[in-house]
Amino acid sequence: MSVQRRPLWILIASVVFLIFFSARVLAQKGFGFPITHYKLKNGLAVILSEDYSLPLVSVVVTYNVGSINEQPGKTGLAYLMENLMFSGSANVSQLQHINFINRVGGRLNAIASEDKTVFYQTVPSNQLALVLWLESDRMKFLEIIETNFEQARGALLDESRQRKIGEPYFESLFSFDQLLYSEFAYSHPLLGTEEDLRNLSLDDVKNFYATYYIPNNAVLCITGHFNKQKAKELVLRYFDTIARGKEVMSSSEPLVYTKRQIVKNVEDTLAQAPAFHLGFRIAPPHTNDFYTLVILDYILLRGHSSRITRRLLNRDNKIAYQLSGGIEKRGDRAVYKIFGVANNLLMVDRCQNAIFAELAKLKTSFISDVELAKFKNILKGDFLKRWATNLDKALFLSEEYFWLKNLDTVFLEVEKYLNVTPTDIVGIANRYFTPENSVILNVKTK
Amino acid sequence: MKKIALFLVFWLFTAGRGLFPQERFRKTPPSPEPLQEFRLPAPETVPLSNGLKVSVVFRDSMPMMSLELILDAGEIRSPEKSPGLATFAANMFSRSTQFRSTEEIEELVESIGGSLTVTTSQDYVLLAFHFLDDYLDQALELISQMILQPNFSDREIASAKLALTYELLEKEKNPEFAAKRLLLRQLFKNHPYEKFAFFRDVIRTWNQKELAEFFDRFYRPNAAHLILIGNLSLKTATRKVSHYLNLWQPRDVPVLPLQAPKLPDRDKVCFIDVPQVRDCTIYLGTAFPASDTTDRFALAVLNQILGGTPNSRLFMALRESKGYAYFCFSETELFRMGGLFLVRARVTPEVVYPSVQEILKVAKAMARDPISSAEIEQAKSYLLGNFPIKIERYDSFAEHIAHSKAYNWGDEPWNKYYDQITLIGPEKISQAAQKYLLQPAIIIIAGDRNFLADRFGEFDSIEVYDNKGQYQYTVSKERSHE
Repeated sequence: MSVQRRPLWILIASVVFLIFFSARVLAQKGFGFPITHYKLKNGLAVILSEDYSLPLVSVVVTYNVGSINEQPGKTGLAYLMENLMFSGSANVSQLQHINFINRVGGRLNAIASEDKTVFYQTVPSNQLALVLWLESDRMKFLEIIETNFEQARGALLDESRQRKIGEPYFESLFSFDQLLYSEFAYSHPLLGTEEDLRNLSLDDVKNFYATYYIPNNAVLCITGHFNKQKAKELVLRYFDTIARGKEVMSSSEPLVYTKRQIVKNVEDTLAQAPAFHLGFRIAPPHTNDFYTLVILDYILLRGHSSRITRRLLNRDNKIAYQLSGGIEKRGDRAVYKIFGVANNLLMVDRCQNAIFAELAKLKTSFISDVELAKFKNILKGDFLKRWATNLDKALFLSEEYFWLKNLDTVFLEVEKYLNVTPTDIVGIANRYFTPENSVILNVKTK
Repeated sequence: MKKIALFLVFWLFTAGRGLFPQERFRKTPPSPEPLQEFRLPAPETVPLSNGLKVSVVFRDSMPMMSLELILDAGEIRSPEKSPGLATFAANMFSRSTQFRSTEEIEELVESIGGSLTVTTSQDYVLLAFHFLDDYLDQALELISQMILQPNFSDREIASAKLALTYELLEKEKNPEFAAKRLLLRQLFKNHPYEKFAFFRDVIRTWNQKELAEFFDRFYRPNAAHLILIGNLSLKTATRKVSHYLNLWQPRDVPVLPLQAPKLPDRDKVCFIDVPQVRDCTIYLGTAFPASDTTDRFALAVLNQILGGTPNSRLFMALRESKGYAYFCFSETELFRMGGLFLVRARVTPEVVYPSVQEILKVAKAMARDPISSAEIEQAKSYLLGNFPIKIERYDSFAEHIAHSKAYNWGDEPWNKYYDQITLIGPEKISQAAQKYLLQPAIIIIAGDRNFLADRFGEFDSIEVYDNKGQYQYTVSKERSHE
């Protein structure tokens, strides 16, 4: 078989043409799917999105609470509360929620994070009422009793201990957060401290539940195969009589950027190789700068062909053997984090120099249209992956609801990322990715 | 006064929430509506002039397209003296071409919002490519270059061998991987499937010549099937695939005769060393011939009752009742020449022996004692409800179709699933249980020898293997011998 090599310029020209052509086609196609959203009189936000491709429904209940709502001396409550939500309510005994979902072939899980606590399940579409019954029962009548509380606390202490003794770099994550986030609310660990967990009382937990697990601090999202009118009736039936709670007030202070670089070292007895955490404080989510920062994240770290990935994990000249990072959001705060592991301290140093060199390039020269188009396509693909299943869609809509408060413009958000220009990137890179705004924590082996 | 008001507010939000009389409908779970059946679009298939089968499944729920290329070039095709060669050929095939480096391929895949993976199983190679649906031409052009312009240079081979070595080294730290590989090797001893469970030592034996020969022989359109899933018609698909792959020449690819795995005549216990792992992983399995894969729906229900979920018998017995295990599940795998029924569990080293005994006890009880109709209906309800969830993601849907095509399970196996599962009754499950659960099994224990060596004496006999899969010695209650 003989193969003729084609001139390189034809190949490049065709790739450039097709990327631009297809980007326009995609923009015209419009991203999105149908959504209805409204509020019950108790303040519960409800989002409905029908999709008849498969006989499934996903139900997501998101409470606008996480570790950032914890007070000093009471850490670990958000995570503990997530576990206690499975410990039974007035009409559902302990772990019965899980059994009900499993029995019908469904899947469920929950996530507690720094700013949200999410409960979700996907079930055959004929079981929508069952899930709404279960979720409303624990929103209205959760039974928080001493034995369940002790059990959940024991499990949390155990998990915390296991991770401390078994996970390399685990403790350094928290040391780094304390350097990067200046306020207590954002910097303390989600798992809480051992001392705080031991001192928590049953009343602390009950107060936390009464304050945050209320309909006016939650979003209920249903996606999948259902009749909209019938779903609205079910939502009304199960959730409308749950009493509205006292409004949760946000007490966030304006973000303060550091004016000098912070560099610290820690030792990790479990680490087999030195590592580093590098971070920058960046603009809050959904501000104008944030859209460009997301595109910058793609250019720097997303995918095999991103710039820092190529530079540090280059096959022929690999200087790191582990690399991760990206934008991290905690409430109205956002930071950019990079974590790398290298063979020795010299290589750690080289990694950091290489990262700053890549950032310097972004600050001084415009990214080519072809490269920018590539990263925007990766972003489009990722957006679509966030809508791959009913559950993905429900999680996406719930998250966006807390930011936008009105989902009418949710699908126009994609355009804001796609409209970022090379000039925006140079400007934003110069604004946020400066050595003076950086925090570095070097992790040494013992 | 203020204090009283605050107390009342607090009471309303805490205790008060529970003290108001609740509505009657809250006291019991609502009755479900009838389970909806569903039909997925059937694949349309057409053969091209070079023998390549092209199928299209229409799906327009999102602007993504999936391309699945099945090649009849699985491990079963590796030469006897070169196990693993099929896996290596698949890695090389997707790694680079004569005119595109690995980095350039990664760049192209990402520039069309895509992801590309290649996996090799016992029977076939599956290339799965998902991308934004405007880029079908670029995707097909890349596939065409991979097939027509493969890069088997010495440099690329050396680099790919190194990558595979590191990949295996990393996987070998995982006791699940180590246990399953040894289980497959033991169950399929002297069977063509044994080649699938290869170890690192064979990597150095592969050379450029046999790699090129293997590729030339088995990467042929008449032994391949290309499936496109997305918003396109069969006509468009055929035109585009023909355009990019019409130079792909057919050649005779021999059909392999079915060969049933030889079943062990008694239970056998093996240990494989996985250093620095505190817990102990147990894999217990048995193989069965291809003719029995027609039982797959009965097997699915049987598996569900035995160990499909945390509500199943094994999990309840080993974790909830005895407290031995972190988890204990069972699963089935079907291949062209047979299948595999296995149980996997993770336990602490102190209870490895009683855990194995308990697994055997639960399995054998299921084969001997009647199974209640409530348990059977429960299992069926789970399977029917769970099936659409398993294929909900576009990539898992595509993989499911590819798998069905690769095993020739008919054009609409997913649409028959409801009928087939619904029809399974207690007799069929009992028959399946007797057939599969009373057979002698291979039992693999994976963990750190330092924590487990003291436990070897509890078994009648145990073969010990090092972490490279090399047989070391046997410990038996009577004596130990090299």
